[in-house]
Amino acid sequence: MLRRTTLKLTAAFTAASLLPFGAFAEMPAAVDKPITITFYNYNLASASAGADATKELIAGFEKKFPNIKVEPVAVPSNEIMSRVQADIVAGQQPDVAQLVFRDLIYIANDLGANALEDMVSADELKTHFTGMLPQGLELGKVDGKTYGLAYTFSTPILYYNADLFKQAGLDPDQAPKTWDDVALAGKAIKDKTGKNGFFPGAYGPVDGTFVYQAIVMSNGGKVRDGDTLTFAGSNAADAVKMLREMVDSGAHAKIDPASAGDTFAAGNMGMFLYTSALLSSIKKSAAGKFDLRLAPMPSFGEKPTAPTNSGSALFVFSQDPEKQRASYELLKYLTSKEAYTIITSKIGYLPLRLDIVDDPAYLGQWVKDNPMFRANLKQLDHLTANIAFPGPNYRQVEKMMMDSVREAIFGSGDPVATLKAAQEQGQELMP
Amino acid sequence: MTTDTSRDHSPSGVSSGSGALRKVAVHGVMIFLSLVSIFPIYWMIVTSLRPENEIFSTTLWPSDPTLENYVFVLTRVPMLQMLANTTIVAAATAALQVVTGLFAAYALVRWRMRLAGVVHGLIALSWLVPFQVTMIPNYVLASRLGLLDTLTGLIVPNAAHAFAILLLYHGMRSFPVEILEAARIDGAKSWKILWQIITPNMGAPIASLSIIAFISAWNEYFWPLLLSRKPENSVVQIGLQMFMTQEGNLWGPLMAAAALASLPILVIYLLLQRHVIESFMKSGIR
Repeated sequence: MLRRTTLKLTAAFTAASLLPFGAFAEMPAAVDKPITITFYNYNLASASAGADATKELIAGFEKKFPNIKVEPVAVPSNEIMSRVQADIVAGQQPDVAQLVFRDLIYIANDLGANALEDMVSADELKTHFTGMLPQGLELGKVDGKTYGLAYTFSTPILYYNADLFKQAGLDPDQAPKTWDDVALAGKAIKDKTGKNGFFPGAYGPVDGTFVYQAIVMSNGGKVRDGDTLTFAGSNAADAVKMLREMVDSGAHAKIDPASAGDTFAAGNMGMFLYTSALLSSIKKSAAGKFDLRLAPMPSFGEKPTAPTNSGSALFVFSQDPEKQRASYELLKYLTSKEAYTIITSKIGYLPLRLDIVDDPAYLGQWVKDNPMFRANLKQLDHLTANIAFPGPNYRQVEKMMMDSVREAIFGSGDPVATLKAAQEQGQELMP
Repeated sequence: MTTDTSRDHSPSGVSSGSGALRKVAVHGVMIFLSLVSIFPIYWMIVTSLRPENEIFSTTLWPSDPTLENYVFVLTRVPMLQMLANTTIVAAATAALQVVTGLFAAYALVRWRMRLAGVVHGLIALSWLVPFQVTMIPNYVLASRLGLLDTLTGLIVPNAAHAFAILLLYHGMRSFPVEILEAARIDGAKSWKILWQIITPNMGAPIASLSIIAFISAWNEYFWPLLLSRKPENSVVQIGLQMFMTQEGNLWGPLMAAAALASLPILVIYLLLQRHVIESFMKSGIR
């Protein structure tokens, strides 16, 4: 009896756990009756321009699709994953969610997000993807399928304070192009002005790993290869050693990583490598205080840079075919030319559709008025996907890696040995 | 009778001089500590009055003070609604904790049950369970009860608290048994004894509990973060978080919002200064 009950329970649990991954019923071609879908969004949980732009996008969508009502669920970005998980457990199945790339593999494999290829016909998907940046589409793929459609994303750019460059006897019109240039300029700024030379927003607490990965990959390194951690490999370790040398020489500031953006915005730092999403906020702080300039991220000599992406993608969790159609229409709208015009001009993220950049009907005028943004656009050619970690311990592995990077750069021990020790420990938590 | 006359022998000038010196030193230290305590509040207010490009200035007063940060806060975030929500949630939570605490404490004091010690111990232990442990089961339950995104959902899980029960239990235990016996002989039932005899005489612990529960509910962050789905149904602590964004921290508006959020607590403190200090002294800071 007990055995039979256990078997029944096991079968029920197995069936329930398979549900989100089950075969997809075909979506209807259009939504012809009123339907409501939820949209978990972190921009809406802020008072920034991102919230206004998102409200405008949702309003535009509801106007275009009067049958579909979008019910926004506003959650701060660092909490949105827990909320999606909690709601799935509570039986409040989310429809569309804006989630960050670092959680990509977990979302696809464990949280039951829908792969667009399973949900939408190949032809329809091809039509929508036409004109989108292929490297951008790669960002949300796991095992060749698109789980996340890149939405608001950006790459690291080098902000620099032209006034400090002048005070240090440097030419502000010659932006640092390589890491050697950054080291020289950083040291000159530190020695001649007493202010901080350089700091990358690569050591937490809010940036994840994308700036660090961009530096490592620009030197030909990688944080993992399949299920093997490689962040202590020679190219990755050389990049960290380079940063450590800059710390030792004084070119790289030794400040609280959480305060780097504010230190730069206050005019107390020469160069700051971080997401372009901060541009409008830094611009406001710099207005009338110092001459703010932008440059693409620095390279290791002649090697091409590998700017990785920060930001978010859109994921669909809907189970019901009608809702899947409504969710897919929302995804399409939010990654359309009209939407990217709003996303880029009002929030500062990169457009996934480059044909709108010089089109006067879309971003043409805005890019003319904001020439600084070109530094960011220039990098899109070699946009490199941020590498997420697999397995249920992915956040722990990521944390171990970043802890060791901080220790290697700011500590006094041997940087390579520090990275190697963490890599060995972290490997045990990999699938 | 012995009298200490040693002081009489010392020259009076030295005695009063060293006393005055000590007084000055003590006052000096106290003034310094007061300034250290007040400075962050002063800095919050000054920063809230700075224009955006002066946010990182270190001058003690902005060269061009402005109220634009307050305007931003009040127009971009439903801050007044959030303040009203927080007041309702904090007041209701405090009131319910007092009522449920009184009931439970009375039961534990009045009826000597065989397992009273165990019940008391379990209540005390429940205080030690971190919120994170019960967060998801509570959330699932709230979702099934249809309490997501409601103020009721914010109040109900905190309507009873081990701290409230224990605080009132200890207050009630010291209540003279003779009076209760006399009331019982006169025919008073438990309801009457609790409300007409015990409660009016428990002013101090009830005031302490109300103040601490109110402030604690006012500062609550995680549960509202999990439960609320729209800013207009949320509380002020979530409102503050809205100024720390992926596109940079909006320090000016954040400080203006923090100033607005701390105003009601400041008013309570000014009105009930003695009670607040006593509450924290007696009950420890929760």
